[in-house]
Amino acid sequence: MSHTTTLLTGKSRAPFGPMRTRRAEALGAWTLLVPYTLLFLVGAAIPIGYAFVTALQKAPTPVDPTGGFGGLQSFVTVFTDHRFWNTFQNIFVVMIIWLPIMVLGIVGLALLLHASPSRFGGAMRFIYYIPGALGGIANFVLWVYLIDPQRSPIAFLWQGMGANSFKEVITAGNMPGILTAMLFFQGVGTWIIVVNGGLNGISEEVLEAARLDGANAWQLAWNVKLPIIRPWIGYAALMNVAYGFQLFLEPYLLRQISSGAVSPEWAPTQLGYAFAFTNRDFPAAAAMSIVLLAITLAIGWVIVRKSGMFGDEKETA
Amino acid sequence: MTKKLMAAGGTTLVAALALAGCAGGGSQGGDPPAQTDSGGPITVWVDPPRVPAAEAFTEAHPDIEIEITQIDGTVGGQTVRQAFANFDTAGEGWPDAIFFPTNDDIAWATSSTSNYAADLTDLMSEVIEGYDEAVLSFCEIDGQIRCLRNDAAPDVLWYDEVFFEENGYEVPTTWEGYADLAVTIAEEHPGKISGMLGDAYAVNRYLQAANCPTNERVSETEARIDLSAEGCGKMVDLLSQMQEADALSNQGIFDGDAAEAGQNMVMSPGAAWWGNYLYRDTWGVEAGRISATTPLAWEGDSEPTTGNEGGGLWGLSSHITGEQLENAITFLEFVATDPAWQVELSTGLPGYGPVQDEWLEQVATDDYFADIEGSQTAFKESLGYVAPYDYMMYDTGSVWTQTVPPTLIGGGSIEDAIAAFGEELTNQAESVGYTITQ
Repeated sequence: MSHTTTLLTGKSRAPFGPMRTRRAEALGAWTLLVPYTLLFLVGAAIPIGYAFVTALQKAPTPVDPTGGFGGLQSFVTVFTDHRFWNTFQNIFVVMIIWLPIMVLGIVGLALLLHASPSRFGGAMRFIYYIPGALGGIANFVLWVYLIDPQRSPIAFLWQGMGANSFKEVITAGNMPGILTAMLFFQGVGTWIIVVNGGLNGISEEVLEAARLDGANAWQLAWNVKLPIIRPWIGYAALMNVAYGFQLFLEPYLLRQISSGAVSPEWAPTQLGYAFAFTNRDFPAAAAMSIVLLAITLAIGWVIVRKSGMFGDEKETA
Repeated sequence: MTKKLMAAGGTTLVAALALAGCAGGGSQGGDPPAQTDSGGPITVWVDPPRVPAAEAFTEAHPDIEIEITQIDGTVGGQTVRQAFANFDTAGEGWPDAIFFPTNDDIAWATSSTSNYAADLTDLMSEVIEGYDEAVLSFCEIDGQIRCLRNDAAPDVLWYDEVFFEENGYEVPTTWEGYADLAVTIAEEHPGKISGMLGDAYAVNRYLQAANCPTNERVSETEARIDLSAEGCGKMVDLLSQMQEADALSNQGIFDGDAAEAGQNMVMSPGAAWWGNYLYRDTWGVEAGRISATTPLAWEGDSEPTTGNEGGGLWGLSSHITGEQLENAITFLEFVATDPAWQVELSTGLPGYGPVQDEWLEQVATDDYFADIEGSQTAFKESLGYVAPYDYMMYDTGSVWTQTVPPTLIGGGSIEDAIAAFGEELTNQAESVGYTITQ
């Protein structure tokens, strides 16, 4: 109420200045918002809505080729599928191994870099970033070479483990390790730069004050820098969790090079793909994508709240 | 904040329910799309080894415009299947003719939800007459011929004649004799193997040859899978015996790193195309060593029983008519029957009978096999010994590669591996909608 009064008061006292400013601000806000909103609608909101609609359809089958409204049957299909829990088990095992290594690696290396602002630090920054430059397929091709027990520079490692062919390296037991290595080197360089950005934002006075209080490098990192960059770490964790749940390319291609030794439905996204294109059940594929969306949103929500990624969440965290 | 989110979620769900109630089931559930005639170029999809076939057609028929699309030829690959699922949903986009990368593809291509592959029974009756019934049996679905075989791929017994002569081994004629000799060779020549278990065709090589019901089509929605049947048990016993003696490799014939294993494989059941395509072109085994002989029989049987590995399938679109259809039929007839492809360029024994002798003569000209005449006889004889097998909506070979080699590599026995295979096979079959009978 008081807010309205102030506005009205302002309007009556200065009819042109603030009004113009507000209009300009509104115009600017809309100009900035429209491209994102359009992209969000086309790339996210409409597909999600379409997925909901599709998930509630009935899939035609050879027995009953008619379509129509199917209620929640596609969700029942997804949850009762014999591969459903296996795919999540696979992804959870990878996450449990990869995520802590990834987050520790990102934070540890970023702190090391930040503590070494000399030429050496600059050189290391470049070296750490190199794997990050090898995105997607390029990173995969590099790893295909590294895990080849006949040609790899670390072939002795594979052969020492008794593996002489791709099939013997790419086993169910080795999959989490191989994927952890692939994902770590693919992402760590980029995330070091992001977290380093956070570290660079820390005021020099704060660091100087801590030093004057007698903090050594370790105490400075643990007690001062880490709490300040917590939102950046949270953001890195969030994006990596989201990426982990969407793993598709790596297991799909590992299956190709191991001549089918890896299940075509190894990851949840692959199961969604199989529902659509092997089972010809698009409603089940849509239901699977909604399940994944719900999981990643829930995990994202927890991380956002706990890390205080956004200012207004800090107090509730 | 939470209440707002819940409200937004609830609104979305209600809207989705309303929309879903109004929406139709897509083209898959509606009437079949009308047949079209573009009158323009025909589009054909071929895997890499079949590109020369399409190119030979352009040379032989310059009057017909053709657009060649090279597709992923991986056996068990999903990309073609994915494209067709989209075409079937959209009601357009199909190629006019295709070489299916996996033979199982004919199952979805003829299912009531796709119905892509045209019934060729009347459209190409004269060509069909040229095929041996056994060869074309893989294309006969509910009394209709829905595809044409590119090549016949019956399994023969391949052996290294030089190695056999040097060591005084006699070529086996029975499955039991093959297993015994494999064990002997592995003991006397460690490193020499008598078979590979790691590829999608190993199912056909061993279980089909034992009449083990992994792929028995009872109807469009019923499948018979029974790995406890007698034939399965017989073969599992033989494979166990060989596996324990290190006579088999866990690698597959298509593995990129299998050349060494291939060169050490001194005998194995394998398709007629193995000789040129695998031994000569892929593994680089020198000329004058390898020969094919008559497939193996089970002790007590009067005739051999053998599997079939591939022998690709050509399909024609059911969605075209008029000039487009005529041109696509001309293409299909060429790739299935014309010596310009089937004799001069193809590495496999033609499925089409009238050109088989010409191809066999070409084998003599190549001068690769140690026993040319014996190999020629084996190729031709084996055609009639292939055990029945149906192509299904589930991909048997893919189930094999993801269960059997990993189990064996993990230290499991053949029995464990086949049990895992059987369990996953049943699961996959049920997940695509089959009711399983035993």
